[in-house]
Formats: sequence, C-alpha cells, structure tokens
Amino acid sequence: MSFRPVLFACAAALALSACRSKEGAGAQGAPSPGPAAAAPSQKVGLVIDVGGRGDHSFNDSALRGLETWAAGKALSANRYTPLPPGALEASLPQELRTLTPPIRAVAVEPVVLSSKAQEDYEPNLQLLVDQGAGLVIATGFMLENATETVARRNPSARFLLIDSTLLDPAGNPIGLPNVRSVVFREEEGSFLAGALAGLVTKGTVGFVGGMEISLVKKFEAGFRAGVATTNPAARVLAAYTGNFDDVAAGKQVGADLLAKGADVLFHAAGSDGVGVIQAVKEARAGGAQAWAIGVDSDQHHLAPDAVLTSMVKRVDLAVYEAARDVAAGRFTAGDTALGLAQKGVGLAEVRAEFPGKAEALAKVEALRQRIVSGGLTIPATLEGLPSFKAQP
Amino acid sequence: MLELLEALLASTLDYAPALVFAALGATLSERAGVVSLHVEGLMRTGAFVAAVAALSLPTPLAVCVGMAAAAAVAGVHALLSLRLRADQVISGMALNLVALSLFSFLLEARFSPTGTPPIAQLSRHGLPALEGVPLLRALNGHTALTWLALALPFALSFLLYRTAWGLRVRAVGEAPAAVATLGVSVAGLRAACVVGGGLLAGLGGAVLSTSTLDRFEQHMPAGLGFMALAAMVFGRWSPLGAFGAAVFFAAGNALRVGLASSAPGVLAVVPQGVLMALPYALTLGVLAVQGGRGQAPAALGQPYDPEHR
Repeated sequence: MSFRPVLFACAAALALSACRSKEGAGAQGAPSPGPAAAAPSQKVGLVIDVGGRGDHSFNDSALRGLETWAAGKALSANRYTPLPPGALEASLPQELRTLTPPIRAVAVEPVVLSSKAQEDYEPNLQLLVDQGAGLVIATGFMLENATETVARRNPSARFLLIDSTLLDPAGNPIGLPNVRSVVFREEEGSFLAGALAGLVTKGTVGFVGGMEISLVKKFEAGFRAGVATTNPAARVLAAYTGNFDDVAAGKQVGADLLAKGADVLFHAAGSDGVGVIQAVKEARAGGAQAWAIGVDSDQHHLAPDAVLTSMVKRVDLAVYEAARDVAAGRFTAGDTALGLAQKGVGLAEVRAEFPGKAEALAKVEALRQRIVSGGLTIPATLEGLPSFKAQP
Repeated sequence: MLELLEALLASTLDYAPALVFAALGATLSERAGVVSLHVEGLMRTGAFVAAVAALSLPTPLAVCVGMAAAAAVAGVHALLSLRLRADQVISGMALNLVALSLFSFLLEARFSPTGTPPIAQLSRHGLPALEGVPLLRALNGHTALTWLALALPFALSFLLYRTAWGLRVRAVGEAPAAVATLGVSVAGLRAACVVGGGLLAGLGGAVLSTSTLDRFEQHMPAGLGFMALAAMVFGRWSPLGAFGAAVFFAAGNALRVGLASSAPGVLAVVPQGVLMALPYALTLGVLAVQGGRGQAPAALGQPYDPEHR
C-alpha cells in the first residue's frame, strides 16, 4: 500500500508528543509506600512494542508482571493506584500460586513507555535510563537492536530483553555484562496446543501466524508436531497475516481458514489474534463447531465459549523475576531459555467443555510430563518436523 | 475446488462493502467536480463515531450517527473548497490528518490505545433456501450492509445517468458555467454531492467497526480510503465502474489470503508484497494508458468563480 508509509509518517510526526509521554503517573504522583516500604523504591522502566497496551496478549503479559505483580499497582485513568488486598493473589494463574518464594509485590515503581513506531525504541530506552531506572525492560524481539545500542552506551544501566538474545550481525548470540535476556521454548507450549487441537478436531486444524519470521515459525513447528502426535491424519492449514497489529487482517485470515474446514485455530499473531478469535466467535454464532486457541496470555475472557485454551508464555513471570531481583539487589545478566520444565510456557486452564475432555486432558498431561522429563524433544523449526514425525 | 471458491466469495463479500461505499462516495463528490482525497479521513470518522455511538445506541442507529459525523466532516471540506475556494487537495489531506490524530487522541483518552470495547455487531442474515446450494451459500451469513453494497451502485448509477438531477451533477463537474447560466446554484449542487459523498464514505467506515469487526480498532481504515480512490479512478469515475473495481480489489485481496493456506507453493514464487501492491499498480497502469485527464470530470478541482472568464 503505497500511501500508508506517507500516512504513518505524518501520523508519527503529529503524535510525537504522545509517543514520548509517560503512560502512568509513576514520576508525577508522590511515590506511595509499597508493601515492602523498608527499602527505597527503585524505578523499573518498560518499553512496550508497537502492538501497545491492551493487546490481551504479549504486551499485557509483560505489563501484568511489572505493574500488577512486581509493583502491586493498577492503572486507572492514567494513574497508578495500589491494588486492593487479595487482588494480586487473585490475578495469579493456578500453576504460579504454589511457587516458592511466592509472588509478592516488591519495592519497585513502574514507568511504562509505549512505542508508536520502531523509531521510538531507542529514544524510549534511553529516556528510561536517563530517568534513573534501576532496570529497563525491552519487551519483544523487535527491540533487540535498540537494546544492544543503548546497553553499550550505558554500561552502568541494567536491561532485560524479552523474546530474544542479543545477536551480532551474523546472528550469533553475544552477551553483554548488563543485559539479561529471556527467550521461551514456544515450540513446547505450542506442541501441547497442537496435541489438544488434534484431539478436539474433526479433521482440519488451522494456524494463523503474524509476521513470517523464525520466532513465529517456532510456534507453527511445535503446533504441527503436536497435531501429528495425537492425530496423524489431521490436516494443518497455515497462513500468515504479515503483521501483528491489524485486527481486521487477523479476522480475514481466520475466516478464510474456517471456511476451508478448519475447526480449531491456533494463533500466534499478537493483536491480529483478537480478529482470529472474532472469526471463530462469528462462525460459532452461525452454528459451526469451532474453537480458537489463544496465545501469550490466557485469552479466555475475549470469548469464553470460543476459546479452548491459550498457549501462555510467562512473560509476566520473567518480568516479575527480573524486577524482584533488582529490588533485592541480586540482578544477574545472562541468557535464559524458559520451557515447560521452568513453567515459562504452558497451556492455560481448559475451561471450555467438549466431549471426551477428561481423556484428552490426560493425554496432553502425559505428553507434558514426557517433555519435562526430557523424553521428548520438540522441533523448533519447520525443517526439524520430518525427523520428529519419523520418530516412533 | 468448490470449497475454495466458496471461501473466496465469502471473503470478498466480507471485505468489499467498505471499499464499495467509500468508492461510491468519492465518485459522487468528484463527479460534481470536487476532489475527495479526504475519503480516508471520512471512513475513520464513520468507523470511530459509529463504534462509540453503538456503546449506548442500537447498532443500526449508531451506523447512521457515524454517517452523519462523516457528512459533517465532508461539510467542512465543502466549506473550505467551495465557499473559501481553498486548494481541494490540501483541504482533503488536512482533513485526513486531523481525523487520524483526533480519533487516536479520543481513543487513547477515552478508551485504550488499541481500540474501543466490543459492541453489538450488526446481525447477519441469510436465505435458508441458499444453504444447500453450493457456491451460492457463500452469500449467506453477511450483514444487511453487504446486500446494500450490491444494490447501491445501481441506484447511484440510475441517479447520475437517468435523472435530471444526475445530469446537472455531471454537468457541474464538466462545465459549471453552463449550469450556472441555467439558474442552478453551482455551489449548492456541489455541496450536496460532497456531503452525500461524506454519508457514503462514512457508511464505508462504519462497516469496518460494526460489521467486519465489533469495535473500532486503532488503525482503521488502514489505507482503505486510498484504495477506494484507486477503485474510483480504475472505474473511470462511474458508479458501476467503481463498484466493479472495488469488488475486483476485494477479490484480489481475498485471493491473496486464500492462496496462503490453500496453495502455499504459489506464494513461494510470487511474493505477498507484489500481490498487495497490485491494486495500486493497476491504477497507475490505467492512468498511464488513458493519459492526461482522461475520463476525469473536466472541472475537477477547479473552484467555480462566476466572475471568471
């Protein structure tokens, strides 16, 4: 679309003030004493990717980790207010309630900056450093370059990069002494989503990806492997929307797959996924039996009837742990990969009802335990699929 | 194969109405001689206002509110370009930018940066008799606006080519001085067409937020207004031509989406980007072939000055 760049450039120019503005009242209001008021509160900055707040997915998961869990605050009318007692505990998913040490608010003060365009990443990260943030969190692989630049420029500031390690131009990982990076074994969680989809479907399942990049293809590879494990006869249709922030495109692609007979759609498409779930909702309203599987956050609330489960990526946990470590003064740099064994990925509670639910869940749980125990390795690339399927 | 065509048809019928209404709106306004680059902004206005109105009103009524809001914005264009004789291209682009920022601002201030809360979508209908017919059953399951988008081009074509009022509209776009000598108000007629075009483009925007989705989403209409202009040019400024071009673009888009899942091999050969650029490339081709002003109304973009000779 030849006109769009012009339009967005103009939009960016006009929205210049908005994109640099602070989202919360972090610095304006008097810092309210947190539950751990003994230690002075540290600022923890977070730059969210262009999908923005309210994507019900990746970004919201990161925000939950920082605002709700680490700071114990809620954002209302652009101001942070302390959470009512019990609200933090209520926001924890089942599998994280038994963690030791438990998730409790720590002495941090959130400062969140939104990115309206990719050009905003670097200035936003630098702005947080300049404001004296004890930790700067970059959510999303798109911020990899900007994080590297700003981290090199400010060796005394500390960074957390989610969803990517720092890479040199040749694509090899590099470590910086002030950057912690967290990546997820999405293929393992997607495998379980695929396994469940294979057990639920009548014959055809669909995958909707966002941008066609290796990160998203990890989801597809895991999903295909899962479907092949529980239902080798099922057909898998896959399509990519080409972006992460066009709900209408997600709906169109979702509707297309549904029209071709897919009855379970798994999406890894950021905000586009809201459109995929919308397509499933409409198909159900039209009498079809169809399900959506959400991604990153538990997306059950978007369409309680239509969402089978969600492949959750515990971005919230990674963000929380880094903020907690900074507050306790024991932040360490380094690269981590979180899989099923580390509870970094997994399936959200299956609240939907379908025939044979108990047996299906038991089968999925058995597969999960095989992966956790190391008995099953899931391919992270589409190229690894044939050799996976060839295994007994 | 049949399943494929059905999916293609259903997807086209879902995607086309917004484009058709906007292209018709642009056509009406340009046939009267007023450049309508502001269609993108009108669609954004219609989409946002309809979605916000639907939070408290029944959705069909909210669609009308969205149309009225877009018509009001078109009224500003009429005021600037007809009464104040401003440059119509500049006025149109300015309105686009205002709509883009204003509704981003209102969205962020009032709701969330990504979109409004969900609203009640327009209801979907279908003829039970079609349910068993292969291919034709793809016509079912759409909102009333899809049917309107199929009928309205013919109505507008009748209005423009078969009524006295339509003759005057076309004349005012070609030779306003001649119309003025007959005692018809050039400015009044043009203003009516600009505002009428605003209603239609606003309807196109409202389709996006009340029928395609169930909310206003931050990027709406994401360049569809410009694609509607391309459809108008490609359709040579006639309602039926614009309709055909809009449906053609929508089908091309549906084909691109459909190919991805049905024939992944094709996209490995032809990159998606090429297919996405196709509507614009075709429009450039048409402009190049017909050369110069071609089929465009002769007085397009020229303010009418009764004193001028």
